[in-house]
Amino acid sequence: MGYKKPTAEMIEQLKAIMPGRVFTGDDMNSDYSHDEMAFYGKYQPDVAVEALSTEEVSAVCKLCYENDVPFVPRGAGSGLCAGCVPIAGGVVIGTQKMNKILGYDLENFIIRVQAGAFINDIAEDCQKHGMLYPPDPGEKFATVGGNVSTNAGGMRACKYGTTRDYVRAMTVVMPNGEIMRMGAEVSKNCSGYSLINLMCGAEGTLGIITELSMKIIPQPKVTVSLLAPFVDLDTCISCVSKLKMANLNPQALEFLTRDNVQAIEKFLGKTVYPAVCDGETAGAYLLVSFDGYSQEELDSTLEIAAEVFSENGALDVIIYDTPDGLRNAWLVRGSCLEALLADFKLMDECDVVVPISHIADLVNYADGLQEEVGLVVRTAGHAGDGNVHINVCSNDLEEEEFMKRVDLFMDLVYAKGIELGGLISGEHGIGSAKVKYLEKNLGAEQLQLMKGIKMAFDPKMLLNPGKVCYSL
Amino acid sequence: MNILVCVKQVPDDFAKVHLGENGKPALEGIDKVVNAFDTYAVEMAVRLCENHGGRVVVATIGAEEEVRPSMVQMIAVGANQAYIYAPNTADADESAVAAGLAELVKKTEETVGESFDLIMCGKESTDEISSQVGAMLAEKLNLSFVSSVIDVKLVEAGLCVKQETEEGSASYEVSCPAVVTVAKPEYDPRYPNLKSKMAARKAVIPYLTDALSPVQPSVRCMNYQEPAKREAGVKIQEKNAVDAVARAIALMADDKVL
Repeated sequence: MGYKKPTAEMIEQLKAIMPGRVFTGDDMNSDYSHDEMAFYGKYQPDVAVEALSTEEVSAVCKLCYENDVPFVPRGAGSGLCAGCVPIAGGVVIGTQKMNKILGYDLENFIIRVQAGAFINDIAEDCQKHGMLYPPDPGEKFATVGGNVSTNAGGMRACKYGTTRDYVRAMTVVMPNGEIMRMGAEVSKNCSGYSLINLMCGAEGTLGIITELSMKIIPQPKVTVSLLAPFVDLDTCISCVSKLKMANLNPQALEFLTRDNVQAIEKFLGKTVYPAVCDGETAGAYLLVSFDGYSQEELDSTLEIAAEVFSENGALDVIIYDTPDGLRNAWLVRGSCLEALLADFKLMDECDVVVPISHIADLVNYADGLQEEVGLVVRTAGHAGDGNVHINVCSNDLEEEEFMKRVDLFMDLVYAKGIELGGLISGEHGIGSAKVKYLEKNLGAEQLQLMKGIKMAFDPKMLLNPGKVCYSL
Repeated sequence: MNILVCVKQVPDDFAKVHLGENGKPALEGIDKVVNAFDTYAVEMAVRLCENHGGRVVVATIGAEEEVRPSMVQMIAVGANQAYIYAPNTADADESAVAAGLAELVKKTEETVGESFDLIMCGKESTDEISSQVGAMLAEKLNLSFVSSVIDVKLVEAGLCVKQETEEGSASYEVSCPAVVTVAKPEYDPRYPNLKSKMAARKAVIPYLTDALSPVQPSVRCMNYQEPAKREAGVKIQEKNAVDAVARAIALMADDKVL
């Protein structure tokens, strides 16, 4: 497809639509050229605009569509697969200024927000109303529109599911500028194909989400976390299904390997997890969190959990039930990425999801590749849902050589993940960075089907081109 | 070695505290935690007793229901016994708190039936941050005193304590009994295991009312002020790094910072 560049006349028309919020050339922030993983390539758009309303987004889409200019929606740019990167140039439509919390319908457990609102702000505002917005991805300064577009998961997905499970309705600007309301603020829906579920995880390739009605729940009153150290990862992971079988419904269930914890604690400058328990050195940890509406309710859960841990090889069971304890226990888990970035110059990550029982197989396999590919491997992840974050890093290699080795590593790890019955991304998405792996995972036919869906929404293929199901 | 650690419960120092309508810090809805420096003191005391034998007693002043969870946590991480004393003085100043603690030390010794070799406090509390109480307590008990201790060892003459200084550290020998205040040591306080936490919840923690005599505070806080809001900064918009640095230096020179 021959994409056109915005003409001077079109830029003037954009300026008339959103005066003072249209940027070109040196006035444009260079951040628009990449997401969190600049490593996948930088592509500066021709124009960047900052929208304030659905109507403005609609007007920009219409103009781009009429002029055959590609356009890309962008939230906070915290994605990890180049999903918001304008690889064909054109116009970037920033939604960060559409950050209002529009209101609540507490009787129906609904919060209404603009798509550019930060997850952090939504969570804090819900708390003031005694409510919880359950999705809890690691990056709190991501926009809710971005989270919906990547079906973000996070720690609490174990109990509460992913972002998709909380989307009730949305306002979407179609690529041709038409404004549509999809879904409704209701609990059930079997009214035709679920367009909102197509929009969730579409990474901004089918339409631009501008407003959302999200489901919220009453805020649990008590949260307690337990940490179980194990001799090795196999014993650690084999405990996960036992814990789930006990029907304890943990809010979050994470695993960390000892080498990762050691590096994170060094980065944080504090010791939170015990390295040795009764003379035995821990090789891996399960961190589990339970929430509830009374201490009594949680106490029996904790006792059963401790029993399950002890019967299945845990060296000890540490409890974090003070504000400081909870904060520190989860700070360790939440600081994986920062610790890696502090330790290494070059880093890449994949987030393969496998059946829970195969987590250890995948992690051990990835660990075993370290020598073969000459990269450092560090892993952590969501034990409760099989989503494994595998990071590969280096300090010594040149970027080109690093990328070559990462390619080799990713080929092997994705192949292993697929062999174990998994999928290549649990929550990061595909963007432009992982398209070739998705094709290997799902096959050309499924990608063709996806492309057909894309064409039904966007016949000119102008919205966020070269993402998810095809490459440019 | 018998050690008493004086513990204070404070508002969670991660919470933003603002002044309420009465001009005092509005603490409603803010979690209460054990003062961080007191948790270091308890960890130091527990390690000393684990290595050399002895008992760690913790004591606090406060309303029973309110402070019991903190005392339970201290037992869960290794203290052998806890006592809660009902408050003796409203709006106590540091001297009044120290007087209350001095009385608390004596009463606790009577209750335990043994005298303490070492009395430890955090070097300051994270709410009021006056750093005065430990020193005043030593004065009132007429005991030797070292502040900002980050390590303690048993020696023939009593204790060898390492004090954190601005430049590094200094070591002192102190005869027992002594009072020390504790700064952040090289290690972190432990977290309890579930078994010890559950056991600690069942611990008998005596609540001693009318044990402390009222003290007349001699210093009164007249009012609190929140820090002035910071003025908006200056945005340096130069794209080129050299220009941006030159502009920053010029701004600092204008304001006579340089």
